[in-house]
Amino acid sequence: MSIFYLLVFPGFLFLSALGLFMEYFDRKVYARMQNRVGPPWYQPLADIIKLVSKETIIPYDTNKKMFAALPVIALAAATTAIFYIPIWSSHALFSFTGDIIVVLYLLTIPTLTFFLAGWNSNSLFAGIGAVRNLTQLFSYEVPLYMGLLAPAFLASSWSLSEISQFYTTHPLLILLNIPAFIVCIIAVQGKLERVPFDIPDAETEIVAGSFTEYSGRYFAIFRMALDTELVVAATLLAAVFIPVFVANPFISFLIYLAKVFVIIFILAIFRSVMARIRMEQMVKFCWRYLAPLALAQIIINILIKGVLPL
Amino acid sequence: MSLDQKIINWARRKSPWIVHFNAGACNGCDIEVIDALTPRFDLERFGIMQKGTPRHGDILVVTGAVTMQTRDRLIRTYEQMPEPKFVVAIGACACTGGVFDGCYCVCGGVNEIIPVDAYIPGCAARPEAIIDAVVKLLSTIK
Ligand code: SF4
Repeated sequence: MSIFYLLVFPGFLFLSALGLFMEYFDRKVYARMQNRVGPPWYQPLADIIKLVSKETIIPYDTNKKMFAALPVIALAAATTAIFYIPIWSSHALFSFTGDIIVVLYLLTIPTLTFFLAGWNSNSLFAGIGAVRNLTQLFSYEVPLYMGLLAPAFLASSWSLSEISQFYTTHPLLILLNIPAFIVCIIAVQGKLERVPFDIPDAETEIVAGSFTEYSGRYFAIFRMALDTELVVAATLLAAVFIPVFVANPFISFLIYLAKVFVIIFILAIFRSVMARIRMEQMVKFCWRYLAPLALAQIIINILIKGVLPL
Repeated sequence: MSLDQKIINWARRKSPWIVHFNAGACNGCDIEVIDALTPRFDLERFGIMQKGTPRHGDILVVTGAVTMQTRDRLIRTYEQMPEPKFVVAIGACACTGGVFDGCYCVCGGVNEIIPVDAYIPGCAARPEAIIDAVVKLLSTIK
């Protein structure tokens, strides 16, 4: 049964399919916002198949094993995170106290592999991209963690399933967490390296950032990892901030898909109306506005917890 | 042809990523290439995307006559692209050397240095012609 979970549903196959579709949705919304027709629905799939069937070049003076292993680690980490997030009911497949932290760490691993990939590639552009990856990590990670932990404080639990159950029984309290939701949406945009936070792979400055030397199948796996991470991050936000579950698992699953669509739609709109900012602007923005907002949310939640008989 | 080869060819036709290389153009053709990539012509309909690094590219788009300065760089960029790869020469200069042919520093058209799969004449080549050529080139992948 675990193998089925891992490989088919809600693991690798399901996440890949949904991830590819979400990439299409994202690109289509982006194109429509620019008054274009946009790519056909099979575009991300065609990209992946083409990349897999292309020649794979490994640069001469890299560590070959590491070069090949990093994309797989990124994909595996992003896929594993889905098991601890409630999808079709307020119970996740597996859960224990503290799994919210585990999920957040699993979602950080892809960023670290991007850094290592750039550093291992031994190329100037990839090296700069790798350093920018890490700098960016330090700016969005803290607001993201605080924003996601604020609802956990209110629910007095560190397990995603229990948080979802708490908000299902107290639906009005969801409204309290709206500032944290905004913080998390912005931070996730930085985590996924999308405009306006696509500083690490700014193609007009440093060609493709950490992925400059990656080609063929390894690059395809990295793309899959990014798509998977997009879906998993949207699922995480949906489970914590929009915990709407009904008894029927099938209808609940449809609601889940709708929630993911809404979140990715917001992310896509973000991407199309903004332009890339500079590294130090991003660090400043995250620490000056996002982190205090998340901190205020935590304090408000703690105060409310003292006032309300929960 | 086996089924997997058919699927691979389909994917190759549907997802060509281009790398733009200026081998010594007067900038006229470069602007037309950039033109073709703007939202007005919407090349993403055909899956065409511009990539910065030759490692991700499928089609090398070369503009301008090859000069002695860019000759080695052109060869290096070409060799860094993973197989299968295609080369499109855009503009009269890239096809034959054009008005610069015979200059003391010009080696000639792109096909004197690397194999070329499609030629797009014109000074400068129109974006419509560029799109038409790329789509025609893709239809030859079978
Ligand atoms: S073909 Fe004309 S526009 Fe293009 S590079 Fe040559 S001279 Fe310039």
